[in-house]
Amino acid sequence: MSGLATPSPAVAGLRGRLLRKGGRRRRTPWPLVALFVLPSVVVYFLFMIWPFLGTLQLSLQAWDGYAQTKTFVGLDNYVALANDGDFWNAVSHIAVWAAVGTIAPIAIGLPLAILLWSGTRFRLAFRAIYFLPVILPVVVIGLVWGWIYNPLFGVLNAMLEGVGLGDWTRGWLGDADTALYAVLFAAVWSTFGFCVVMFLAGLQGIDTNQIDAAKVDGANASQRTRHVILPGIAPVFTFVLTITLVGAFSVFDIVYVMTRGGPGTATETMAGYAYKMAFGRNFAGYGAAISSVIALVSLLLAIILLRYRERGRG
Amino acid sequence: MADDIVLVRTQAQPRVRVERALTAVVKYGFLGFWAALCLLPMLLVISTALKDPVVETGNPFQLFSSFRPENMADAWTLGKFGRYFVNTVVIMVPVVLGVIVLSTMTGYALARFDFPGRSLVFWGFVLGLMVPFFSLMIPLYYNLRDYGLLDNPLAVILPSIAGAGGTGLPLGVFLMRAFFLDMPDELADAARVDGCDEVGVFRRIMVPLALPGASALAVLTFLSAWNTFLLPLLYLSGEENRTLATGLLLFTGGRTQELELTAAGTLIMIAPVIVFFLLFQRQFIRGLTSGAVKG
Repeated sequence: MSGLATPSPAVAGLRGRLLRKGGRRRRTPWPLVALFVLPSVVVYFLFMIWPFLGTLQLSLQAWDGYAQTKTFVGLDNYVALANDGDFWNAVSHIAVWAAVGTIAPIAIGLPLAILLWSGTRFRLAFRAIYFLPVILPVVVIGLVWGWIYNPLFGVLNAMLEGVGLGDWTRGWLGDADTALYAVLFAAVWSTFGFCVVMFLAGLQGIDTNQIDAAKVDGANASQRTRHVILPGIAPVFTFVLTITLVGAFSVFDIVYVMTRGGPGTATETMAGYAYKMAFGRNFAGYGAAISSVIALVSLLLAIILLRYRERGRG
Repeated sequence: MADDIVLVRTQAQPRVRVERALTAVVKYGFLGFWAALCLLPMLLVISTALKDPVVETGNPFQLFSSFRPENMADAWTLGKFGRYFVNTVVIMVPVVLGVIVLSTMTGYALARFDFPGRSLVFWGFVLGLMVPFFSLMIPLYYNLRDYGLLDNPLAVILPSIAGAGGTGLPLGVFLMRAFFLDMPDELADAARVDGCDEVGVFRRIMVPLALPGASALAVLTFLSAWNTFLLPLLYLSGEENRTLATGLLLFTGGRTQELELTAAGTLIMIAPVIVFFLLFQRQFIRGLTSGAVKG
């Protein structure tokens, strides 16, 4: 093994031959490239890229999903969307979702991660427990929280009664005032553990010498947090922010399981509205226009955040 | 002098101790509160799954008020969760194998080969990390219909491999490429000197070295394929193909009767996930964090 680890003169010579002038490697023969790359590209193209392009195309058409011909209508779907009150209702829910669903898991996860990192008994057990909800299927999360919120025998109402807040009991998912927040809380419950794990990994990457140096220089705990710890986890922070924020724009599954967008349209999301339009009412083109808006916003956000992150590192 | 020090210590120690104890109470209280919040819903599932029929007791969510393990067998057979379990395995296995094999090969090519369009292919896959499922869900339905794949397990398997379910090739290629980039050149070069061709270098040297990365990817892919819900809901609507996720959703359909069977079905679905997670926690967390921490 040791002979392999340190390159012999023969290996170095071969490597010299494999490298062209200017350090560029020799072109790999194309059959080899095709063997390694083509199967992935074909599957990826057929089942991701092609339907993605199909969404953009379909958003410019009127189609019921069955007719032989699709009518080109230009930007009509988008114009209709801009004047659609139900769509803006969904957008307003997504705004709440993006704000609360991004801030809350970070606000819960970051202090937990710092506590675990700063030395705690049962650290690995805590981390595993916090992560448990993250690995659960959405269907199960929706189901169990549906039980907790149940108006007749739900645990939440029972607990409120127990502490003398019987007036507050209600059907949490059936009440238009609370449904969105009830679903949102279940979503936060299932994501804060992700933040704990990510932040903990980021914290463990911080050079402890820096913290010791700050201590020697007389920095107190909050100064150390602000000037050493937070900058140290900045890359993780933007990563978590990107994932949760982009996820918020396309949220659908947990809402579908828990309320199907109801009561009425109280928990309708953009993606849920697209689903309803395309598959419930057979406005495939209109649904595609909503999907395109979601895609554009998500991509734009991801690019902005990732560029910001690149700049922060450079 | 020595007496002074002793005096100071004996006076300060109780106060420090109280402060420390208070800090510990606050700290472990905070940690414990969120841990309890994570565990309680799990206890609720387990307790309800092992309960006498709810119709008889009238109190479905009192924890561990009765014990009836036969519910598990009933859910497996009467509730058809055994069938759903098999259907889910039939989808999960090819997805995991497909993602691992294809990602390892393509990740290797993107890290080690030199060919025109290499960065185009790479950025094409990275794009897939950011495209939400919604932006392709509608045309994909009609594409699958045209290919004659609707209601065929392939309608979930192929898009899952492609990345429509959230992980798949975009994540796999990204992770495996990064993994191969970190590997030293010397081993491969030594094998070439010994007369190994490029495929041999990949198979005999690189694949064994890539196993830690591939296993992290496998764990992530397993979980996402096991839990995937929208793909089978949309493209696999027939009864005979239902997975645990769609089967569970349709089994409940909002009913509160046979709650103990719903809970037992839930337990059947999440038990493998939890066992798997506890066994492979390290791989899982490594796969999840490797992209974020290093960048």
